[in-house]
Amino acid sequence: MTEPAAETTVGVVAHRSRLRTTAETVLRNRLAVFGLVILVLLVLVALAAPLIAPYTINEVDVANRLQGPSSQHWFGTDELGRDVFSRVIIASRVSLQVGFVSVGIALGLGVPVGLIAGYYGGRIDSILMRLMDILFSIPAIVLAIAILAALGPDIVNAMIAIGVVYTPIFARITRGSVLTLRDAVFVQAARSIGASDLRIIGNHVFPNVIAPIIVQTSLSLAFAILAEAALSFLGLGVQPPNPAWGRMLSEGRAFFQQAPWMAIFPGLAIFATVFAFNALGDGLRDALDPQQRSIIESRGRS
Amino acid sequence: MELRQTLRTLASMAILVVVLVACQQGESVDVGDPGTTQAADGGTVGTSPPDTGGGDETAGGTLIAAQGAEPDRLDPHLTSAYASFQILENVYDTLVQPGDDLTMEPALAESWDISDDQLTWTFHLREGVKFHNGRDLTAEDVVYSFERIMDPETGAANAYRFESVESVDAVDERTVEIRLTRPTPNLLVNIGGFKGMAIVPREIVEDGTIDTHPIGTGPFRFVSSSPDQGILLERNPDYWQEGLPRLEQIRFVQIPDPTVKLTNLRTGEVHWVDSVPPQELEALAGDDSIALERVPGGDYHYFALNHAREPFDDVRVRRAIAMAIDREEIAEAAQFGAATANQTAIPEGNFWHHDYAPFTPGDIDGAQALLDEAGVSDLTISFMVSSEFPETVTQAQVIASQLEPLGITVEIDDVDFSTWLDRQGQGDFDAFMLSWIGNIDPDDFYYAQHHSEGGFNFQGYSNPEVDDLLDQARVETDQEARKALYDQAVEIIVDEASYIYLYNPENIGAWTTALDGYHVRGDNAVRFVEASLGS
Repeated sequence: MTEPAAETTVGVVAHRSRLRTTAETVLRNRLAVFGLVILVLLVLVALAAPLIAPYTINEVDVANRLQGPSSQHWFGTDELGRDVFSRVIIASRVSLQVGFVSVGIALGLGVPVGLIAGYYGGRIDSILMRLMDILFSIPAIVLAIAILAALGPDIVNAMIAIGVVYTPIFARITRGSVLTLRDAVFVQAARSIGASDLRIIGNHVFPNVIAPIIVQTSLSLAFAILAEAALSFLGLGVQPPNPAWGRMLSEGRAFFQQAPWMAIFPGLAIFATVFAFNALGDGLRDALDPQQRSIIESRGRS
Repeated sequence: MELRQTLRTLASMAILVVVLVACQQGESVDVGDPGTTQAADGGTVGTSPPDTGGGDETAGGTLIAAQGAEPDRLDPHLTSAYASFQILENVYDTLVQPGDDLTMEPALAESWDISDDQLTWTFHLREGVKFHNGRDLTAEDVVYSFERIMDPETGAANAYRFESVESVDAVDERTVEIRLTRPTPNLLVNIGGFKGMAIVPREIVEDGTIDTHPIGTGPFRFVSSSPDQGILLERNPDYWQEGLPRLEQIRFVQIPDPTVKLTNLRTGEVHWVDSVPPQELEALAGDDSIALERVPGGDYHYFALNHAREPFDDVRVRRAIAMAIDREEIAEAAQFGAATANQTAIPEGNFWHHDYAPFTPGDIDGAQALLDEAGVSDLTISFMVSSEFPETVTQAQVIASQLEPLGITVEIDDVDFSTWLDRQGQGDFDAFMLSWIGNIDPDDFYYAQHHSEGGFNFQGYSNPEVDDLLDQARVETDQEARKALYDQAVEIIVDEASYIYLYNPENIGAWTTALDGYHVRGDNAVRFVEASLGS
C-alpha cells in the first residue's frame, strides 16, 4: 500500500475487515468448506501423482484387461489392461492444468478488455464489447471445437481455445463493475489531482472490481475443466496414450456393459472436481457479493 | 448438442475404408487351378425362433440394415467409401464378379474368350438384361462405363486397374472386346473385383443424377434417400437371375455409434448391422435371436515407416521395430481374439499365403542389438493414426508400450482421416498405420504398395530386386509360377520391413435369425440378392 495517507487508512481498514468477513462467511458455509477440502486434496494428488500412481499410464497388459477393481488395481483395468487408478490420478494434472491455464488466459484477456471498455466508454467500449458479444454468441463448446479444428488437437491448443471461449464473461463482469465506479467520487478525485488513466485503473478501479472476478474465476474453473473433459471426450484434447478424464469416459463407453469401472471412475473424478469448484465459487459469491448475500441473508431471517 | 453428435458420428466412422478390392487370378485364363480357398464356412450361431420386436415393415419383407457411416456419394466410379458400396453392391452389376469363394464368375458377361497371345479378351453379354429405367443393357454401356473410369477427367481412383488396357470396343450389341498392351492374368479381378467397376447407363451420368439416384442392373433398384428415412431400395422385378431377389425392400439406416447399432439389433429395430465391436462377440454368441458369423478374411492391418526420413532409411532400424513388437498382443488388444497375427499380408488358407515368419515376437534383445549396430538411441516416432479407425489408436498405444524397453518414444498423432490421407500423400509422417481390405489379387496388395513405382508406396520403399519380381509376376500367366515369384518378393518385403504387417482380422457379421440366405463374405461385399426374411 503506497497510496496517499488519507486513502490508505480507509483502504486498509476496509480491506482487513472485508477479508475477515469473507473468510468467515466462506468457512461458515459447509458446502464451500467441503469443496475447498476436495480441491486441496485434488491439488495434492495432482502434484504427487507420479509418486502415488502404482503403474505408469501406458503399462499395457492385455492378459489382464477389463479386470474389475481389486487390491492390485483399485479402479480396475481398461481394455488394454492398464491401471485405471493410475490413469485417473495422472489425468488430474491435465484437468487442473487446463483449468488454471485456460482461466488464466481468459482472465488475462477479459479483465483488461473490461477495464478499458468500462473506463473509457464510448466508441472503444462499443467496439470491444461488440467483439466480446460476437464471441459470446457462439456456444462455448462449438467455438472451442472450431478453434481446435483450426489449430489442431493438442493440449496447449485446448487451453487456448477454452481460454478464448471464457474471455467474454470476464470482460462483461469487469466492465459492468467498472461502469458503477467510473464516476465515483474517489475516481474523480484521483482524476482531479492529475493521475494518469493507467494509474487510476490500476490503483483505484481494479481493486474495487476484484471481488466479482474472484467469484467468476472459481466458477469458470469448473466450467473450464468440464469443457476440457468435453473436448477430450470428443478426441480433441490430450492425445493418447496420455490420459484425460473426458477421453477415458469416451473410451469406457464402448465397454460399459463389460467394464463399467472404466467410465465410472473418470466420471466421478470430473464430478467431484466440478462440484468442488462450484461449491467454493458459490461460497465465495455469498461472501463477496453483498447484494446476493443480503438477499440470501434476508431470506434466512424471514 | 447437434455438433457434438456429429463429431461423435465422425469418430465412430470406423468404416470409411479405402476399398481396395483386388482380384483373383483369372480362372478362365487357360491355366489350371483357380486356387483360392478363402472364405471358409462361418458357423452360424443361434437357432431359436427369431424375435424381431415390432416393426410392421418386417411382414412385407423389408429388411432394415444398419450402417455405421453415411455414404458420401453414390457414384460407384468415384466413391471409395465402404458405406456407399454396401448399398451399390445391391444396385449395380459388373461384367464378372467374385463368387462365394472369391474366384471370378460370370455376371453381366455370360462367357468370355481369350486370344492365344493373351492380348485380346472377348466378353459375351447376357441376353435380356435391363437397367432399372427399363432400357436394355448393350455392349455400348460396357464400353461407356470402362472408358469413363479410364478417362483421367473423371478422376476415378480405379483408373489404374485399366493400366494394361489399350482399348475397349463394342463388336456388336452383345459383344465387348478388350485389347491389352501386355498379358494381364488378373484382368477379371481388375474389371470386376468389386462394384467400383460397375456398368452404368450413360444417361444418368449425363443428366448428373448418378450421385443421387443411381440406376443399375442389380437385384435392387434405388427408390429414395433422406436423412431421416435412410436409403430405400426395392426389388428389381426384371433382375436377370431367375427367382431373385427375394426381399421386397431394403432400408439402409445410418447408426454411427457401434453400441447403439448393436442395441438396435438386439431389440429388433434393425435386422442387420454392418459391423460388430469385437469386445461384444462373446455376449453376442450367447444371444439366441442373433446369428453371428465369423469368416477368416483377406484384410490385413499393418504400419509403415517413412523410408525417406532418418533413421528409418536404415533397414536395421526398421527391422528392429518389426522384431520388437508382439503381433499376438496387438491383435488380441485390438480385435479381442477375432484376428490372427501374421508377419506377412495374406492369411493361411488363401492361395497367396506364404508361410514366412522370420521374427521372434517381442525380441527386445535382438532389436536392441540392431539399434546399437545402427547407432540409434533415444528415438522418437510420431505415429499417424485416425480415430475414424479406432483400432489404429488402440494398436499405436500397444506398440508404444512394446517399444518402450528400447528407449523408443511413440508419440501418437491422431488426425482426421482426410488430413491423414493428405499427409500420407505428401510423405509428412514418421509412421502411419491402417489396413487394406478386400484383397483378392497380389498385384493389388504388393505391386501398388511395394514397387518403387507403386501408386500406394507412400513409405518410399525401393528395391530393384522386388521391382523385378513384381514386374514379372504381373504378366506371368502360370499361377504356380506366379505365386513363386510373389513368395520371393514377400520375403524381401518382410525382411526389409517395407510394411510391418500385424494381423488379419476376421470378417464378422451379425443379423437377426429371421434373415436367411445371407453370409459374410471373404471380401466383405454386402450382397442381399439371395436373402429373405422369415416371419
